[in-house]
Amino acid sequence: MDNAIKTAVMRKSFGKSLLYTLPMFLITFMFITGGKPNFSDPASGLAMVSVFLMVNVLYFFMHFTGKTDRYRAILFIIFAMSLSYTLIHNMLEVRKSMSFSQADILECKIPFCHLVIPMMILPAAFTKSIIFPGSIIGGFANISSMVVLWLVATLVLGRGFCSWGCFYGGWDDGFSRIGRRPVIKKISELWKWMPFAVLLMVMLSAAVTMMPTYCSWICPFKAVTEFEQVTSVESAAKAGIFLSLFGGLVIVLPVMTKKRTQCSFLCPLGAISTLSNKITPFSLKIDKNSCNECFKCVGVCPLFALTKDDIKAGKVSLFCSKCGKCVDACSRNAIHYGIKGIPAGTMKNFSRNIFLFVSFLFMAIFSSGAIITTFHGLLKLIF
Amino acid sequence: MKKAKIVAGISWAFFCLILIIILFPGLTGLSNSVSKLPFMKLNPRYTGGEIGNQIISAGCTLDIRKPVFNGFLKERSSGFVQLDWHGSLPEIIKDSIDYDHDGKNDFCILIDRNNLKTVLDPISNKVKSVAVSTQTSYGWAVRVRLIK
Amino acid sequence: MTDSLILGLSSGSACLATCGMVMFPYLMAGSAGVKKIAIDLALFLLTRLVVYFILATVAWYFGQAFFSNPVVRNIVPGILYIVFAVMLVWYSISNNRHTACPAKIVKTVNNHKLVPILLGLVNSLGFCPALFLILTKGATQGTLTQSYFAFLAFFIGSSLWFLPLPLAGKIRKKEVLKNIGILATGLAGIIFMIKGLTNLIGGIING
Repeated sequence: MDNAIKTAVMRKSFGKSLLYTLPMFLITFMFITGGKPNFSDPASGLAMVSVFLMVNVLYFFMHFTGKTDRYRAILFIIFAMSLSYTLIHNMLEVRKSMSFSQADILECKIPFCHLVIPMMILPAAFTKSIIFPGSIIGGFANISSMVVLWLVATLVLGRGFCSWGCFYGGWDDGFSRIGRRPVIKKISELWKWMPFAVLLMVMLSAAVTMMPTYCSWICPFKAVTEFEQVTSVESAAKAGIFLSLFGGLVIVLPVMTKKRTQCSFLCPLGAISTLSNKITPFSLKIDKNSCNECFKCVGVCPLFALTKDDIKAGKVSLFCSKCGKCVDACSRNAIHYGIKGIPAGTMKNFSRNIFLFVSFLFMAIFSSGAIITTFHGLLKLIF
Repeated sequence: MKKAKIVAGISWAFFCLILIIILFPGLTGLSNSVSKLPFMKLNPRYTGGEIGNQIISAGCTLDIRKPVFNGFLKERSSGFVQLDWHGSLPEIIKDSIDYDHDGKNDFCILIDRNNLKTVLDPISNKVKSVAVSTQTSYGWAVRVRLIK
Repeated sequence: MTDSLILGLSSGSACLATCGMVMFPYLMAGSAGVKKIAIDLALFLLTRLVVYFILATVAWYFGQAFFSNPVVRNIVPGILYIVFAVMLVWYSISNNRHTACPAKIVKTVNNHKLVPILLGLVNSLGFCPALFLILTKGATQGTLTQSYFAFLAFFIGSSLWFLPLPLAGKIRKKEVLKNIGILATGLAGIIFMIKGLTNLIGGIING
C-alpha cells in the first residue's frame, strides 16, 4: 500500500510526462543539432538522432515512472565512458599514443579538466598565474571554458555536479552497481573526511611545487584518459599509482562496497563541491511526518551523505550529491527533492520537477558532444 | 516570514534554471570575459617565459627566452632558460647562447635532430644540465637548467 | 624544503588534535590577558625551534658519519623513510593515538612559569613518526645549512597549527578538523613512502 501511495504521488500520466518532456525536447534539439540538423554524413546524423532520442526518453521515464536515479545513472555512465573513448580516440589519431609528450607540455596543449581547479587557487591568488600547461582560451577543453562550466554548475547544483556533471563520476557510479549486495558492509565514518585531507595536501603541494600535484601523481582517471610518457623511474611510478588507484578505488572497492569510493575518499574537488552545497538552492529534505526510520536510504546512499542520526534529526548532510538513490529507495516518499526556503514535506513534486529540469538539462547538453562522437565512432566500426 | 522564504527559495531556483539555459549559448562570451581576468595567464614555468632575444640566420629563427625562476612566494634558486628554434632547421643545430645579455656566452648547445641527441657544454657555472630537448610542432625546443 | 613544510603542516594538525587539548589548559593556566598568552605561546614555539636546530645539527653530523657513501646515502634513508612513513600512516589511523601525546607529563610540573618551555621541549622531542622522518631527512642533506632549512620548514609547517590555540575554545566542529588533520598526516606518510621508494630504487640502480 505504501509503495502504491509513493508511486502515485511521484509518477505522472503518459500525457503529463510528455508535456513535461517537451521543454527538454525543444532545448536539447536546439543545442544538439544547432537548430539545423545535418544528415550529410548518415552515421553522424544517426548518432545525433540516437543521442537526442536517448536523453529525451530517459527524461520522459523520470517523470513517467517517478524514479530518478536509474535513468540519471544510464546517461551519467554512458557520458563517462564516451568521454574516455573520445579522448583516447583523439589522442590515438593525432599522436598514435595515449600518452602526452614533452612537446605537448611545452606547447601547452594539455586538455584542462575541472579536477585541476583546487590546485589552481593558491598559485592564482599569489602569483596571478595558472599552473597548468593548457590553453587559456580557444582549442579543446580550454581553461576558461572549463572554469566557467564548473563554476556555474557548482553554483546551481552544488555537490549535484558530482552526480549530474562530472565526466569521471560515471565510472565508479557504474562499478558500484555491479552485484546485488555489498561484500564490505561496515566502513568507518572517518574516511568520508579524506577528500578534505587530500584537498589540503594537494593545495599546499601544488602551491609549493607550482605543479598540479593531484594530476601529476594520483589522479586515477589518467588510466582512462591520457598520461605522461613513461621514460623514467618517476614516470613509471606515476603510471603505477594511476593504474592501482583506478583499479582499487574505481573498480574493486565500488563493486565490494556498492559505494562511490573514489568520489567519497579521494576526489579533492568533491570536498569543494561538498562546501558548495551551502550555496545551491536545491537540497534533499526529510519529511519527518512520513519517515518511519527504516533507514533504507542510509544503506543505498553511495556517498556516505546519510546517517541514522541525520535521519532521526530530519536532515541530509552536505555530502549529498542529489543522485536520487535514496529518494527512489524510500517507500514513503519521506526523503524528497526540495528547494531551500520551502519546508520539508511540502511542494515535493514542484521541487523535483524544477531540480530535474535544471540538472538533467545540464547533463544532457554537457554530455551530448562526447556521446555523439562515441556513437558515431561505433557506427563507423560496425558498418 | 515563512512565505517570504518560500518566494525567495523559488526565485533563486528559477534564477538557476535561467542560468543553466543561458550557460551553453553564452559559454564563448563568458569564457572570453573570464580569460581577461588578471590571474588568467599561464605561469612562465609552463610557457617558457617571455622572448628575450631573437636571432635569425639562414631561414632559421632562434628565440632565447628570459630565464624563469618563478616560485610561489618568491623566486627560486633554480630555474631554466628555454630556447626555441623555428623555420627551416638544419640537421645539426649548433649555437652558443648568452641568455643573460652580458656579452659573454653562457653555454654551447649541439642538437643532432636525426639521432635525437643533445649535448650541452656549459661555460658559465650557473648552467647545469638539459631538462628537456624535444621536437615540437614549430621546430625544436630545449630547456636548460640554471641556478641563480 | 617542500616536503619538510608539507610534513610539518600535516603532522602539526594531528599533533594539535592529540596534544592540543592537553597543552591548551597548561598554556593558558594562570594567564591573564592577551599579552601573557602571547608570551606563553612564543616561549613554547621558541623552545621548539631551539630543540629542532639542535636535532638538525645532530642529525646532519650523524648523516656525515654514516651516510658518506652516495649509494648508502640513498638506500638507508630510503628504507628509513618507508619504515617511518608506515609508522606515520599507522599513527594517523590507529585507535591508541590519544595516549601517544607526550605533553601529559607536564601535568606533574608545579612551576607554571616553566610550563611553556617544558611543553615546547616535550612536544619537539616527542618520538612520533614525523620526527623520525625529519631526522632522516636532516641526516641526508648535503650541508648543515640545508639540514637547518629542512627543520625550519618543518617547524614553520607544524607551528602554524598552534597559532590559533588561544582561540580554540571558540572553534566549533573541532571533531571535523581533528579528523581531517589525522587523515592529512596519513597522506603525508604516503608521500614519504613514495619518496623513500624512489630513493631506494634510485640507490639500487646506481649501486
